[in-house]
Amino acid sequence: METVKISIDGRELDAGKDRTVIQAAEDAGISIPHYCYHPKLSIAGNCRMCLVEVEKIPKLQIACNTLVQEGMVVKTQSPQVLAARRGVLEFLLINHPLDCPICDQAGECWLQNYYMDYSLEASRFSERKEPERKRQPFGPNVVFDAERCIKCTRCVRFLDEVTQTHELTVLNRSDDSTIALFPGKTLDNPLAANVNDICPVGALTDRDFRFRARVWYLKSTPSICPGCSTGCNIHIETYENRIARFKPRINDSVNGHWICDEGRYCFHGLTGGERLTSPLIRQEGGKLVPADWDSAVQAALIGLRDTEGLAGLLSARSTNEEAFLFARLMRAFSPKATVEVSYQARDLTTVEKILKSPDRSPNYRGAREMGAGTEPGWESWRDKLLDGDLRALYLAGEDLLSLFPDPERILRAIRGLSFLVVQDTTLSPTAELAHVVFPATHFAEKEGTYTNRRGRVQRVCCACVAPAGALPDHAIFGRLLAALGHPQAGSNPADVFRQITAEIPRYRDLTYESIGGAGVELEGI
Amino acid sequence: MEKILLRNIEIQDSHKLSVYKSHRGYAALEKVLKGMTPEGLTEEVSASGLRGRGGAGFPTGKKWSFVPKDNPKPKYLIANADESEPGTFKDRLLIERDPHAIIEGAILAAYAIQSHQGFIYIRGEFVFGARVLEKALDEARQAGYFGKNILGSGYNLELTLHRGAGAYICGEETALLSSLEGGRGWPKLKPPFPATHGLFGCPTVVNNVETLAALPWIVDRGAARYAALGTEKSKGSKLFSVSGHVRRPGVYEVELGYPLKSFLEEVCGGMREGRELKGVIPGGSSVPVLRRDEIDGVRMDYESIAAAGSLLGSGGVIVMDDTTCMVKAAWNLARFYAHESCGQCSPCREGCHWLEKIFARIEEGKGNKDDLDLVLSVSGNISGNTICPLGDAAAMPAVAFVKKYRDEFEQHIRQRRCPVTAAEAQASAR
Repeated sequence: METVKISIDGRELDAGKDRTVIQAAEDAGISIPHYCYHPKLSIAGNCRMCLVEVEKIPKLQIACNTLVQEGMVVKTQSPQVLAARRGVLEFLLINHPLDCPICDQAGECWLQNYYMDYSLEASRFSERKEPERKRQPFGPNVVFDAERCIKCTRCVRFLDEVTQTHELTVLNRSDDSTIALFPGKTLDNPLAANVNDICPVGALTDRDFRFRARVWYLKSTPSICPGCSTGCNIHIETYENRIARFKPRINDSVNGHWICDEGRYCFHGLTGGERLTSPLIRQEGGKLVPADWDSAVQAALIGLRDTEGLAGLLSARSTNEEAFLFARLMRAFSPKATVEVSYQARDLTTVEKILKSPDRSPNYRGAREMGAGTEPGWESWRDKLLDGDLRALYLAGEDLLSLFPDPERILRAIRGLSFLVVQDTTLSPTAELAHVVFPATHFAEKEGTYTNRRGRVQRVCCACVAPAGALPDHAIFGRLLAALGHPQAGSNPADVFRQITAEIPRYRDLTYESIGGAGVELEGI
Repeated sequence: MEKILLRNIEIQDSHKLSVYKSHRGYAALEKVLKGMTPEGLTEEVSASGLRGRGGAGFPTGKKWSFVPKDNPKPKYLIANADESEPGTFKDRLLIERDPHAIIEGAILAAYAIQSHQGFIYIRGEFVFGARVLEKALDEARQAGYFGKNILGSGYNLELTLHRGAGAYICGEETALLSSLEGGRGWPKLKPPFPATHGLFGCPTVVNNVETLAALPWIVDRGAARYAALGTEKSKGSKLFSVSGHVRRPGVYEVELGYPLKSFLEEVCGGMREGRELKGVIPGGSSVPVLRRDEIDGVRMDYESIAAAGSLLGSGGVIVMDDTTCMVKAAWNLARFYAHESCGQCSPCREGCHWLEKIFARIEEGKGNKDDLDLVLSVSGNISGNTICPLGDAAAMPAVAFVKKYRDEFEQHIRQRRCPVTAAEAQASAR
């Protein structure tokens, strides 16, 4: 990449030839405050917050629209620049409502942050603030507050350029300018809630997260979205050990700056409910009753070991480590076990295709590469189940009844099983039919790796503490393997991953460190 | 001085092609298409010293030369007929009474930059003017002065009239382009500049209609004749729109360099009976007002007025006598800019209305002693920090009025009412 020599605040830099000053500064770790600039959107140049001094040019220049040139000398902290910043902040604040106490953006608001960094001045505005319409629902996931809006147009540009759905525009002129929906439109496209992320202030806020928690109380954990096999990078943000929201984590190799709405809110369906905190065993001709782990493990062993027509179905939200152990476990039960990973396919619209994958299984590829698939595919396994070819089943992490459009057929097939072990977070309808139930954890309560549909291995991290009594899948598989006398080196994810790299050629050179936060794309198909 | 821009307007039916033609109309176009290259025409116009008459005063020939000749994209010539600067009504006169001068000028300018599609962008409020131009365009097209193979020269040019929708900001060239492209009248970021990336991203020149209307005479009589008029850096003549407290308001064509005081006192008939000059805005509301004591020796050209601390601008001369409350005048202007701000960038969108609110409060008798410094500070934060010059246009008059009439403002604040109207009331009560 060709570079030019520039200087920013006295620092000599080699800047990429086609970079703007704000980008070259960012590349060098120098932050220039801004609102309307976004690396993935067109340049608007309207906020005027990024004004900087460029030697030999009398007027201040916006850093976002100034290309670097050989020998350019830039100052981002000169008195003139700091005065301009204070001026712009003052202008943005004069009509801004004093909503901080009730505004969700507080704590991650760019007006608050820059005010603390660059102003701290008392207001000089003694006129009446312009009132506007507040609390306007733009769509199922987005609320707009016109008073808080600073008209940076990030939202308009996102919907024009990224989703190309054009729901929003700017109406009126002067300080009556406001963001509005085009008549007849609703902001409900599959990526709509990203506008809440890119809005620097509390003008666009997430309806799901509304008033849920103050952001400074949130604990943030980097992880991967369990919604589908794109594997969008996310932050899981929790409040008092419950997931409050997902936020996108930037990864230009996977999801850029975005996540889809379905993935963003999918944690609701995957967590909550009355959690299982103890293994359960079905009494003779009777109910499921709590039992200790050893008894439950023994009961499962008796029901599954060496059984004819033994089958295993693993949730595709399981990690590679869990899938590796599950494959090993099922083979240990019976070399002829029919094992598959669950797979939910769907058609995608044009907008959905920006991010989403055709299947809802975040680790289908990884799990199968770990050996957890003996069948040609999910459909083949499913047909065997419906045809009554499977006699005993170890079901980990899925509610089978909800996977099928025709519950009657699957109900008959399940009832026809001689033995059913279900491992889940709650007592699902399928679990209610089981002979043994193991209390498991959900996607955010474990550590491990996912391999997305393009073969990228990414780290899943533990964001929540599971309720006492529940164990992650890999720990449960480990206990069963131990009870079988299987020489298993260890069942915690790091140990299992080492075994994976030792045994599965394509994963050979990986370590958790090398995967890091950005993931590693494996070679070949 | 021989009239150049106003040579036709007093002639009966001057808007008609037949009348225009009988007064050397389209002779310049014939001359150019017979024997001048686009480069030659550009050089001639540069030699005349003609500067843009819309307000910026940029040398016209130089502006044309910025269009890249070998660029494969189509070139566009745009006539800016969006006259909206308060105190300016000279383009309206040309549009209504001498449309063919504008049309011929537009064709000449288009030829110079090798454009084959020209637009006349006229402000939406000029309903009558648009009708006149439309008729004139029809006449010109019928006569073969534009269209295909103009006068057998092989040069093609289509000219299209486009009406605006009522926004001052659309007189700013890049906002005009946005509007012409079918979008909101939002100015565009510069760089890139319209000469290389203008209408639809193509090389574009925007010229004011007064600038264009001067071209036929310049080409017909030769650049030297034009350059013989005016001063060293301000060649030729300009139209001045005079309004306010003079006996003879109206549009005047003045040789650049004419003394301002003489112009007001003699040409415009001086102040009304018993009244004294208090202030005069020389170039449209966006330029700083000059106090009575500041106009001695000032001449009506770009350099002299700049030296006096103001700008020639659009030549909108607004005269205010001693019955004028300067607080109210400042408020009036601030209200205009607050209303016309496009709203795109933070300082202008928020700052213009803030200025208006402060002036309104002072006018209503609720001002306080910090308000004047606040106006200066707010104006300073707007100036130079905006996408387009509208912010500066709002800031300059606010600063000028407060600075030059500070005593009156302070008195108005102290007394909680207008000292001028109070004095008037007292005087008439006697």
